[in-house]
Amino acid sequence: MDALNSLLTGFGVALQPINLFWAFIGTALGTAIGVLPGIGPALTIALLLPVTVYIEPTAAFIMFAGILYGAMYGGSTTSILLNTPGESGSMMTALEGNKMAKSGRGAAALATAAIGSFVAGTMATIALTFLAPAIAELAFIFGPEDYFALIVLAFTSVSVVMGASRVRGFIALFIGLAMGVVGIDGQTGQARLSFGVPGLLDGIDITLVLVSLFAVGETFYVASRFSKTPPNFNPLAGGASMSREDWSRSWKPWLRGTFIGFPIGALPAGGSEIPTFLSYTLERRLSKKPEEFGHGAIEGVAGPEAANNASAAGVLVPLLTLGLPTSATAAILLAAFQNYGLQPGPLLFINSGDLVWGLIASLYVGNLMLVVLNLPLVGLWVRLLLIPRPYLYAGILIFALVGIWGISNSWIDLLLMVMIGLMGYVMRVYDFPIAPVLIGLILGPMAETELRRALAISQGDPLVLVSSPIAATMLALSLAVFVVPLVLKYLRSSEEADAEHAGETR
Amino acid sequence: MSKPEPFTRPEEEQDMPAATQRPYWLGAGVAAIGAIWLYQATSLPQRSQYAQIGPGFFVSIVGIALVILGVLLIWQIHRGEIFEAQGTEDADPDAEASWPALGLTVAAAILPLLTIDFLGFPATAALMFLLVTRAFGSRRYLINAVIGVAFGLICWFGFSALGVQLGDLFPVMGL
Repeated sequence: MDALNSLLTGFGVALQPINLFWAFIGTALGTAIGVLPGIGPALTIALLLPVTVYIEPTAAFIMFAGILYGAMYGGSTTSILLNTPGESGSMMTALEGNKMAKSGRGAAALATAAIGSFVAGTMATIALTFLAPAIAELAFIFGPEDYFALIVLAFTSVSVVMGASRVRGFIALFIGLAMGVVGIDGQTGQARLSFGVPGLLDGIDITLVLVSLFAVGETFYVASRFSKTPPNFNPLAGGASMSREDWSRSWKPWLRGTFIGFPIGALPAGGSEIPTFLSYTLERRLSKKPEEFGHGAIEGVAGPEAANNASAAGVLVPLLTLGLPTSATAAILLAAFQNYGLQPGPLLFINSGDLVWGLIASLYVGNLMLVVLNLPLVGLWVRLLLIPRPYLYAGILIFALVGIWGISNSWIDLLLMVMIGLMGYVMRVYDFPIAPVLIGLILGPMAETELRRALAISQGDPLVLVSSPIAATMLALSLAVFVVPLVLKYLRSSEEADAEHAGETR
Repeated sequence: MSKPEPFTRPEEEQDMPAATQRPYWLGAGVAAIGAIWLYQATSLPQRSQYAQIGPGFFVSIVGIALVILGVLLIWQIHRGEIFEAQGTEDADPDAEASWPALGLTVAAAILPLLTIDFLGFPATAALMFLLVTRAFGSRRYLINAVIGVAFGLICWFGFSALGVQLGDLFPVMGL
């Protein structure tokens, strides 16, 4: 049991007082930003990147993991009490959870969400513990063409899965790729797309793009459509608790949610929308009291919440083993690894075993902390919502300035902040998905490097890209992700046309 | 400003949401970005001796893809593609955009470009604070200014202590 031994070492790292301290900071901060509107885990980690220069990497990643998990807990709290899902993964929770809160069962909804998150988070972390080293081993046999194919698969699935339209998904992806080529080409030293501006030679920083798109774009958007109605929530006197019946109705959805969430989160398409939606549909079908759905069924909170947390752990699998981010938060975590000169992938498990296993062990610790922080103290966290919105958003914009000005005190960065912020505004108004921009920006240069490496090895024979079974399968899958929905749509519409036609002639 | 806060608009103006308009400029903008990248790629070598594809190749691909996607988007818009603004906390996606509020916030984001070099970070942050709080409907200018100055100073000292360089404190006074 190699993984078990490594995990024990990891606990040795994670349970050091200083690391417990960072885990606590991370989980508390994560819960807070999960509750607060306008600021999410990806943005928080991006803003903390410059600060972490003085913290050793293990401590920093333990804190980041706490933020990632904590934001999930905080997000479910607001979606239950306020019907405002802070992130797309808690949309399904809001559906039933808010109905429960309105009918006075808010305490049970919060409890099943928190305990379900704990169960799912812990089980998914166990899966991660045993699966990640195996996949990392597998990654050793990956050649450049396999990596290239894998990245292409991530590109197509992220663009197709996220957002309302494929055209807009791909536009978001290619905008990211376009920003990714700016700067000095790593292989030939040639300046590309720098428009004669020295500040652009180093390329466009991912922190800059993320902060501009999320914080600046969000502030613009909310300012323009600010709803003056103050949030009306029922501050819970007691906290969160569940009856015996709630327990017996919750535990199966927790387990099912975990089994749906983790594998889907681990796929290159990643994301939390699909697993939470699937879990909700499944619970609705399996429920003994389907009539309660739509009026506050506890299964409809327990399942999606578990799926949401399990998918968050699933996202860490491709990130840690292959260096492949599949969500905005994973993209910024990858940037954080790169800041420390670390490259996630199989070698990370060998060269930085303490870091990886400390990080994984801290996920168990963090989950436990979060249940303790959230079950009795939920009423406290909710008070954060009382911060007046003008101050909150002014603060977010100033933090954005800290994050961007602090990178290199560069004037061109400030200009890009305004331009990309406006782009973030337009993307929100016209419903473009934002995560593909970041995935394109961070994976684009990697895709290009692997492509050129593969072609250099094969002396320019493009067939090398499909020469290995792994690469061929990945590319075929990416084609399928792109084509299958088109074909289905065509079949459906021609079927409908046939049906209409048949109806007319009859 | 004589207009009462917060920025509201007559009901009848909300009848036509952004969704029913035809924002052709979106597609044109995407295609234009593609064209710029494509144009820049022409001055870069497309092939290289060792890897066969040179530094310009990827740039060309991205440029071509963006031009095609821009045209596709224009075509979709022509066929009546529906755009629904994204829902988020504190925002009402169905509301018509309030241009004064957006303008003030954008001004706040542009402000550092003009002032950060001679006013420094804390003063710039305080002015931004005033602009954004006004955009969100707060009119307690004096209190907001005090909070803004305090917030700017806390950020400057706090982050400097953490090792983040935010420039001089108040350059115009030589600090």
